[in-house]
Amino acid sequence: MRKNTYNLEFKLFLSGSTAWIGIAILLITGFAGLYFGKSFIDNQHSVIKKASILQTENTLKNVEHFGKDIGLVFFHNKFSMANLPGNWAGFAIGQRDVNPYLISATMLALEGQIYDTDITNPVTLLSGNMDISFVFLYLFPLVIIAFTYNLISELKEFGIWSVLRAQTNHIIAVIWQKLLVRLVSILFTALILLTTAVLYLNIKLDTTLFTITLLLLLYLGFWFALSFCIISLGKSSNYNASALIAIWVLICIVIPAALNLVLIRQYPIPEALQNVINQREGYHEKWDMPKEVTMKPFFAHYPQLRKFPFPSDKSFSWFWYYGMQQMGDDQAIKSKKAMENKLDARQHFTKVAALFFPTIQTQLMLNEMAGTDLSAHLQFQESYRKYHEQVRLHFYPAIFLEQDIHRTNLKDIGLKQFIPQKKSNLNGLLSIAVITLLLIAMSLFNFRKARLIR
Amino acid sequence: MQNITLTIARQTYLSAFANRATLIFTLLLGFALCLATYVGWQNFRTQNQQRVHYKKVVRAQWLAKPDKHPHRMAHYGYLAFREKHELSFFDFGIESFAGVSIFLEAHKQNTVNFSEAGFSNGMLRFGEISVAMVLQLLVPLLIVFLGYSSISAERESGTLKIILCQKVNWRKLLWGKSIGIISVCLSIFIPLILLTILLWASLSDWQVSVDSALRLIILILSYCVYFFIVTAVTVLVSAFQHSSKASLTILLACWILFIVIIPRITQSIGAKVYPSPSKIEFADAVAHDIHKQGDSHDPNDKHYASIKDSLLHAYHVDDVKKLPFNYGGYIMAEGEKITATIYNAHQHKLNETFAKQNRITALAGLLDPFLSLKQISMALTASDFETFIDFQRQAEDYRYQLAQQMNKLQIDKISNVTPGEHDKPLSISKSNWAQQPDFNYMFSTVGDVITREALALISLIMWLSCTLLLLQYAPRWIKTI
Repeated sequence: MRKNTYNLEFKLFLSGSTAWIGIAILLITGFAGLYFGKSFIDNQHSVIKKASILQTENTLKNVEHFGKDIGLVFFHNKFSMANLPGNWAGFAIGQRDVNPYLISATMLALEGQIYDTDITNPVTLLSGNMDISFVFLYLFPLVIIAFTYNLISELKEFGIWSVLRAQTNHIIAVIWQKLLVRLVSILFTALILLTTAVLYLNIKLDTTLFTITLLLLLYLGFWFALSFCIISLGKSSNYNASALIAIWVLICIVIPAALNLVLIRQYPIPEALQNVINQREGYHEKWDMPKEVTMKPFFAHYPQLRKFPFPSDKSFSWFWYYGMQQMGDDQAIKSKKAMENKLDARQHFTKVAALFFPTIQTQLMLNEMAGTDLSAHLQFQESYRKYHEQVRLHFYPAIFLEQDIHRTNLKDIGLKQFIPQKKSNLNGLLSIAVITLLLIAMSLFNFRKARLIR
Repeated sequence: MQNITLTIARQTYLSAFANRATLIFTLLLGFALCLATYVGWQNFRTQNQQRVHYKKVVRAQWLAKPDKHPHRMAHYGYLAFREKHELSFFDFGIESFAGVSIFLEAHKQNTVNFSEAGFSNGMLRFGEISVAMVLQLLVPLLIVFLGYSSISAERESGTLKIILCQKVNWRKLLWGKSIGIISVCLSIFIPLILLTILLWASLSDWQVSVDSALRLIILILSYCVYFFIVTAVTVLVSAFQHSSKASLTILLACWILFIVIIPRITQSIGAKVYPSPSKIEFADAVAHDIHKQGDSHDPNDKHYASIKDSLLHAYHVDDVKKLPFNYGGYIMAEGEKITATIYNAHQHKLNETFAKQNRITALAGLLDPFLSLKQISMALTASDFETFIDFQRQAEDYRYQLAQQMNKLQIDKISNVTPGEHDKPLSISKSNWAQQPDFNYMFSTVGDVITREALALISLIMWLSCTLLLLQYAPRWIKTI
């Protein structure tokens, strides 16, 4: 009997055009999102491949052109590192379009090079990516709203409500059935898209997949709960639709945008500009100063390099030159640190804000697990800094001794690869779950109250 | 006739505010607008102050450099900061996604770095709250809520027949409802315009320019037209639909489609259809062309060898050291000219590609008035793509001019004989540095902006005419019952 009514309820739901249009929109945009996401990532992969070839080619060219002067080779030669996109990056492109995924820098002052951006079209960045995370984040809620806003009100508006009330004592069960049918349809659509994503993007079956699936299901659950909470107020269909869309606009656009404004206001980063100036002055002013001004702090920084003979009588030496460059970085340490602190503060602010807004939370977690968020980029920068330091320490002796370039292993140095470490933080899931439960409790309360009155 | 239309308008206006939900929503919107205006203005001030401050620092540091070799100065280079237009507090446009500072040095074209987006961990991607955002996104939503039932509700309650039996005809009814709804919007919009004018004037230190004033006037007119289009469409949908519910569903679906979905899809398609190169591909292509032209670093290069020969021949000397000017400087000037020309050609091609990517969105503007208005708004507040590209172009011109100025100083004032490795390096007086002017970005004139955005303006005018015609002539297809 019960099973039978579920069947009927399904038939009823699927006989309307809303259901099919909603599901079709989700599937079409979902597949489009996967396609755009995958091609975005494929493009990055192919660029990284080219970068790897160019790294070797350019090194050979530099050796050929400037090989007689080892200092000059390293003046020109760039060392590159690529931030490899993981398979999930095609799912949630995140900040990978804004932040460069290749860092190429010479051995000179790094602070003047590490922030160089890639070539991007700011208009495309502004409109945002059409990846599948967009479909889950923005469009699924809209379809959920479309499926549920008139769940109860329609019954009333068609006069079925009173008939139902007269016929059954389990009116809540009827509502529950209707809701369940919609929930199942949405979840089924979501699972189709997820399965396609797993196959299309070659996603491994691991804990990340599990966490993301759980996250998305919770997020969809949150919207169902929210929708149910509004319809349980027992208002008209038009009221429900207006209210739900207003809420959608509020938590998908207005509140995150307003919070972002607070963030920018609270934590402006003039240190970034200061950092450029510090680095530039720190290096350039040394040209007009006695050589000790450079070499004293340089040897303090690298006591192990003291053993190499410094040609203090020459008006120019690469030893001095690279020392001056190092001073650019060393004098920018404070502003760099200040910038990092500001970025940490921003991250912290966002994390706290996300606890209260499942939209922000879901987006942050998706990007975090896809390795496409700001912290993945900062990890990448940090990893490049370490690499740069290794390169410096490795080649400084050869430069300072003015060795033959062919005696170094420069030609063997290829493109370095970086893979961001995934952190999964389950607190986020908890916050969405708590909000969802609160909403369910509220709607049950509303519903009972409404039923008692009528 | 006029009277009846106005009566309906007044009635619509008053009943809108009689509804508590509408009143609350309108007040909230008004509040959001004031907040957005104020915060936008404050953000503008802090960010611009930062940029102006560092601009001054850079200038002072440049002038304070001691006597040195001009080529050292060419490498010391200059830092240029992208200044904001005083109207950009109204619309942030691509501001947050475009870099702020660029390092300009000899031989090398750098990227514009430090965009706000680079410092964001993703929250920025939900959008930014600015006056323009509220007016473009939220006011249409208000109009939908105000107008979806404007006629369908009359039909549902049966009053429509009664109204039309009296002296009212369809045309008057449609116009009356539209005017009423627009008046509600204007009661928020007009105070906002006044506030904007006030803040704008204060940002320009109470000395407003004609150019900016014109920009603002066109901006205000465009927004009025946009509101009219949205209102007319809302009232028409309500008139054609039998139930308020259907009308609301259609209008909300349109809002989502036009404002949320289409802009993303068109831009993604644009980026896919016209792929732009990555920086390394771009740099490699430039390097390849430069190599073909001649390599100033290669002493055996044909191009430079022929220059050397012709110079030696013209001055009747057998060694470049005997030339009456600095040979190194001359060669560098030549190298800079070649590389800059090649680089600019590539940059031009790249900008064309970006423009093609954006053109798909621009064309979609013919179908989606939101896109056209957004484009006009960004262009008039100088927060659009073209302004950014123009900044890059002016910065590159400045870089080239700086490098060549230093080369010229080297050619004229530096001895042709290289000092020994223990000698003091050659230098010229620091008084020469002041010859290099400061970098000042010049915004395009409003005339240029309008020519550039002709398509968007035409699209908006087209939409306006269509809705005007429909309000006038659609009634013949509307069914009363």
